[in-house]
Amino acid sequence: MKFTRFAIFLLLTTAIIYSLNRSWGSVPALGKFLDPFHGFWQNAESGPGINPEVELDGLGATVAVFYDSMLIPHIYAANDNDLYFAQGYVTAQHRLWQMEFQTHAGAGRISEIIGDAALDFDRTQRRLGMMYASENALRSMESDPVAKEIVTNYTRGINAYIATLDYEDLPLEYKLLDYSPEPWTPVKCAILLKNMAKTLNMGEKDMEMTNALKLFGKETIDLLYPDREDVGDPVVDNAGNWKFKPLTIDSFPLAVPEGLTSVRRVDKPDKDVGSNNWALHGSKTRTGSPLLSNDPHLSLSLPSIWYAIHLSSPTVNVMGASLPGAPAVISGFNDSIAWGMTNAQRDLVDLYKIQFRDEKRDEYLSDSVWKPARKVVEEIRIKGKPSFFDTIVYTHHGPVTYDQSFHAGDERNSYAFRWLAHDPSDEVIAFHRLNRAKSHAGYMDALDYFAGPAQNFVFASVRGDIAMRVQGKFPLRRSEEGKYVLDGTRTAFEWQAFIPNAHNVTYKNPARGFVSSANQYPVDSTYPYYITSTSYEAYRNRRINAVLGKLTEAGPEDMMRLQFDTYNLKAAESLPVFLQALDTSSFNDKERTAYQVLRGWNFYNDPDSEGASYYEAWWDALRPLIWDEMDRNKYLLDFPTTFTTIKLIKENPGLSFFDIQATPEKETAPDVLRKAFVLGVQDIEKWKSEKHKGPRWADFKDTYIGHLLRQEGLSVHVQHGGNHDIVNASSRTFGPSWRMVVSLEKTGLRAWGVYPGGQSGNAGSPYYSNMIEMWGQGTYFSLPFGDSTTISKRIIARQQLSMSKQ
Amino acid sequence: MKFVIQTLFIMILSAALQALLPWWTMAIGAFAVGFLFASNGWRSFFAGLLGVGLLWLGMSLFIDISTQTALTERVARLFPTKTTPLLFLVTSLVGGLVGGLASLTGSILTYRKPYRW
Repeated sequence: MKFTRFAIFLLLTTAIIYSLNRSWGSVPALGKFLDPFHGFWQNAESGPGINPEVELDGLGATVAVFYDSMLIPHIYAANDNDLYFAQGYVTAQHRLWQMEFQTHAGAGRISEIIGDAALDFDRTQRRLGMMYASENALRSMESDPVAKEIVTNYTRGINAYIATLDYEDLPLEYKLLDYSPEPWTPVKCAILLKNMAKTLNMGEKDMEMTNALKLFGKETIDLLYPDREDVGDPVVDNAGNWKFKPLTIDSFPLAVPEGLTSVRRVDKPDKDVGSNNWALHGSKTRTGSPLLSNDPHLSLSLPSIWYAIHLSSPTVNVMGASLPGAPAVISGFNDSIAWGMTNAQRDLVDLYKIQFRDEKRDEYLSDSVWKPARKVVEEIRIKGKPSFFDTIVYTHHGPVTYDQSFHAGDERNSYAFRWLAHDPSDEVIAFHRLNRAKSHAGYMDALDYFAGPAQNFVFASVRGDIAMRVQGKFPLRRSEEGKYVLDGTRTAFEWQAFIPNAHNVTYKNPARGFVSSANQYPVDSTYPYYITSTSYEAYRNRRINAVLGKLTEAGPEDMMRLQFDTYNLKAAESLPVFLQALDTSSFNDKERTAYQVLRGWNFYNDPDSEGASYYEAWWDALRPLIWDEMDRNKYLLDFPTTFTTIKLIKENPGLSFFDIQATPEKETAPDVLRKAFVLGVQDIEKWKSEKHKGPRWADFKDTYIGHLLRQEGLSVHVQHGGNHDIVNASSRTFGPSWRMVVSLEKTGLRAWGVYPGGQSGNAGSPYYSNMIEMWGQGTYFSLPFGDSTTISKRIIARQQLSMSKQ
Repeated sequence: MKFVIQTLFIMILSAALQALLPWWTMAIGAFAVGFLFASNGWRSFFAGLLGVGLLWLGMSLFIDISTQTALTERVARLFPTKTTPLLFLVTSLVGGLVGGLASLTGSILTYRKPYRW
């Protein structure tokens, strides 16, 4: 009896321990997780949490790391191999989970961690050829001895950090999801860069445009989706001075495949992705030296997309923002130059409709030949479930993304995906060289290695030069080519050649005294190549150029003020017209209040502004009402841009698209404006009654820095003005992910920076979200830059990485 | 008095074990003390519950107070319970439950009188 009872309780106790030692669905392994000796409690830190002396395998010489008051590491190494090793180690120390999670996302492996909720996402990643692209990039890295050393040492550094970890040291998210880090590999550096390429290139809308063409006709297309909106200055205006002889290809009538595409696209990146950069010539600054600014607008997330770092070795002294998981500094400055990027927006993606010979899909038609297709079976592991196997067919164009088994909507349709990022490229070398560039010539040389995602690279040097270069590898296109789905059976529509680097859009020290870019159209109309894109920006760029044009004797504070500028040019150009459409006699009380607030509004989306809330609510109701013909539930279609929409309201109010299809009446633009106004006011009233407060813009917009796992508890809300189409481009979840200002003075370069997050990715660290408030207020941290003696006087922690004694 | 000593023994032995080894080794400590003290089922269970529960409560409070961390609140918001007092309570209960059961299981082998439940 005793032994039976003993056996029962022993079994019960063991069963409970077992069930508390593993996770169940979204419930963490509670015993392990809550254990104060090893579980999440051990992630609590009261200070920098830096281990002062670390012995590591694989270092050549001792490396000194100093952490300044923002926990930015200043790394001093005796050679470049140790420098990249230390960058890997130090970055992993603060951001390991994020680095791995982002590369798992890139590779389509999220189901492994969170279960089958991510299966569709994972399949998409694989079918876009993310790993195919990364492996091609890796081959290219490994064939270059310098690039190979860089990624090898960076990888070793990360793995050296991973090797020091016991369960209690693991980042919180591993404990929460109950898994452990795997070793880093060089291909992960490539995946990370391809992830960024995906964010910046996947705004493409070939299928949407194809459907629009079929449904509305060419004339309407040109009205609704012009290649060029022709507003404001292009990034580079060098009219009449393109002296090279352009490459040409045979002209060929464009053939768009028959029928509408029935594809159901799964992911569509937010249009709020964008960036600003500019450089002011010394003739316009107080010190006589150039000023350079950059703020990339990306998803606002915790841990942050960027990790600030200072790298110093005998060959380099560079500081700025790095991407955790990629070696070198991406946007920053060294002793001689500074640079920054904005997305070039160009169309680097095409979809080819494939004709397979039969259902086996072993062969597909290309000109008059049946070419063999290559099939790859992808295993997608799923937490708590058996693996999912996905067969992906590769053509010479690239992987077939949409087909009978994935979102094609119609089993006869198969679309192969051609993406510039699939091609081998040398971005690692580009940044390695850019970090070391001493002059304009060095910057030009480094950028020759940069293929994609195409960027507008701004430049300024201590010597006094400013420049802009739209750099990337661009397919040579015939007019209109790339806007629509292409016929995959004819090689004539394939990318025949690329625009040579020497023909790319670039200029230096223009007469106006500044260079700038904000994702607008790249170049004046005399540039001899056809350019197309999803959309080009129409407002930020004009505001920036208007402000920069007026500046004289400018200082860094003027640059900061401009980055934080909340002037809503779109509202200034549209609201007076919108208000004219309203019938003031039919207002209820709420509408009358709204009308008065809007009339008194100064067009600034400041945190305290209520006018901004009413305007944005009105606009958000208006756009879908106007483009109600474009119901994405029926066919993939893309709304025309904000600029074009407003232009049509002003110039073409009787356009048939203003008619609301659900009503029997025939509406014109003013009718739609009135209806949208009522809806916008209702939205605000609903919000007011839920929140019990007035619609201040910062509250109504509610800028939100969300944790990558979308866990509210690990995320932060912040009071912030601005919005998309505004220089301070903070919408709800997108915005300036890094703000940098550099003054390139001959007596010593000075720089400032801030980002909406913190250096540590650990939610238990005081450095997890400590910059967010300053970011929200538009203030900056001075970035300490100098030799180890200077820096060592301004630090909160020091760390010595030395060779293992064995 | 014996109960208090038994509870303290569980606390100390469990702390020593799990300071170095995985969390569940504290169950071995509670089991051993339960075996040695040979109390009845309820007493053994409560000695384990209190011994490990208080140990986990004390350690988590110590970490929370000494680091002044925002982590406790952030993690509390990940759970449906939302508040930090409940997070401390859940932490103590999870540890305490395992400690209690282990202690009880150990006592079954050595407790002389018949169980009455």
